[in-house]
Amino acid sequence: MNFRVKTILNMAVLCATPLALQAQFDFKVDGRDVQVHSFASQGFAYSNNNNFLTMDTSSGSFAFTDGGANVSSQITDKFRVGAQFYIRNIGHLGNWEPELDWASGDYRFEDWFGIRAGKVKTALGLYNDTQDMEFLHTWALLPQSTYPTDLRGNTIAHIGGDIYGTVAMKKVGSLSYTAYAGRRPSDMQGGITYGLLGAGIKLNSYGGTVEGADLRWTTPLKGLMAGASYINLRVNEDGTRLSNLKPYTVDTMKDHTPVYYAEYSIGNLRLDGEYRREIQDVYKTGVGKTGTGVGPAGTDARSGFLSAAYRLTKWVELGTYHSRYYPNWDTIHSLPANHLFDQVVTARFDLRTYLDLKVEGHFMDGVTGANSYHGFYTLDNSTGLLPTTRMLVIRLGYHL
Amino acid sequence: MKSKQFLSLAAVLVFCAATAWSADIKIIANSSVGASSVSTDELKAVFLATKSSLSDGSHVEPVLEKDGPAHEAFLKEFVGKTDSAFETYYRSLVFTGKASMPKTTASDADMVAYVAKTKGAIGYVSASAATAGVKTLEVK
Repeated sequence: MNFRVKTILNMAVLCATPLALQAQFDFKVDGRDVQVHSFASQGFAYSNNNNFLTMDTSSGSFAFTDGGANVSSQITDKFRVGAQFYIRNIGHLGNWEPELDWASGDYRFEDWFGIRAGKVKTALGLYNDTQDMEFLHTWALLPQSTYPTDLRGNTIAHIGGDIYGTVAMKKVGSLSYTAYAGRRPSDMQGGITYGLLGAGIKLNSYGGTVEGADLRWTTPLKGLMAGASYINLRVNEDGTRLSNLKPYTVDTMKDHTPVYYAEYSIGNLRLDGEYRREIQDVYKTGVGKTGTGVGPAGTDARSGFLSAAYRLTKWVELGTYHSRYYPNWDTIHSLPANHLFDQVVTARFDLRTYLDLKVEGHFMDGVTGANSYHGFYTLDNSTGLLPTTRMLVIRLGYHL
Repeated sequence: MKSKQFLSLAAVLVFCAATAWSADIKIIANSSVGASSVSTDELKAVFLATKSSLSDGSHVEPVLEKDGPAHEAFLKEFVGKTDSAFETYYRSLVFTGKASMPKTTASDADMVAYVAKTKGAIGYVSASAATAGVKTLEVK
């Protein structure tokens, strides 16, 4: 079936059923409430230079679709279960492969202690666990420095367990904590796989263990929340060099990321900021021109953003953010391959309670380099990359 | 003397205004809820789904009004979020598996009817609403 027809049909299926219902779908099973919710979005991206996020943006691309649905039930006062599936096609990412987004059992012993197990969204920074749900955000694209759409699979979820809770501290506010451990699902439809293909390597497997924690403080100052997260990954890649069939492997010796963030809301104004530093030491085999190179490789990637959003009316919100990404801090920052800055302005229109439209302009400086697999890929930019990119993104989304 | 009287009057008016704002809504609960009062911190935590029981151990389930002056007043005074921000907050919980969307009612009368028949339900109505069949909680 023609790819464009497939895109239209899938989008129609994602939209049709819940729109026909025109309501969140609730029913009872054995006297217990079961809720069904869904979401989908269709985007368009056009850039003046360079193709971004594996889409053919320089020609204008509608290959920018995603959606999902979940079902959940509160079985007892303390125990709930649920699952959500997710599907996306963004350029060459996702490729319409449905995936289990999360599926978990959650038992809350006390307000200050609960456990969650299964495939669980990972608490990391302000938006890691909600980055796929465009309707929750002002932006058509979250700051790519910190929430790269092409690399979501690296940290979006883990198969394992969490402990969590909220502790009220009276005059000092409250603290919410999450600590987790598990395995990262292998994201074979993401940016790492696609980027390595451009380097002539077919990835066979990509995964590893993960553990981390998140702590957020709702401060006594009304509207101010501050937090910190930490994630430690073990990355194991196994692939084949297509030119000579020699093996390619990556094993992590160290890959950890501290994250610091804050959010302040007053009236209709919301200010956010986040900073991350990923320190990675890996041991690679099968690298270099002949594919026989081995040895350690280390990076110190730093990223962050500052944003402001203001809701003008019930149906219009305006926002802007400045995002910065340095794939390796110990390089000359001014070179286009060593940074990606993005200044963004957005208008969000809430056409209905269940329907939103975003119009967004991106003013990007830098391209992070062909081997950083962060937005710009050699397979999509065979004639090379220009140092700046201007991109228009329009995204229509629904949720119920 | 006159300025002292003026200041006293101004203080009384400010106090009355603050009291009137709080008096715009009433917090109501199902008769199964043992507590007769609730703190503002508890109320906020319950409606932000970080707390599922009151200090007396009563399990509670928050109920919301879809919109209207009581809803706006409640969010402003006790939750500290705009309606849009509150909806976004709850949706983030629902779509990450951490909570279910709370029951929503269309009016004060619907709220009272639902809270009256639902064990553990806690909600809010305008101060002038009839509240037969439910208990009113004092907010400390």
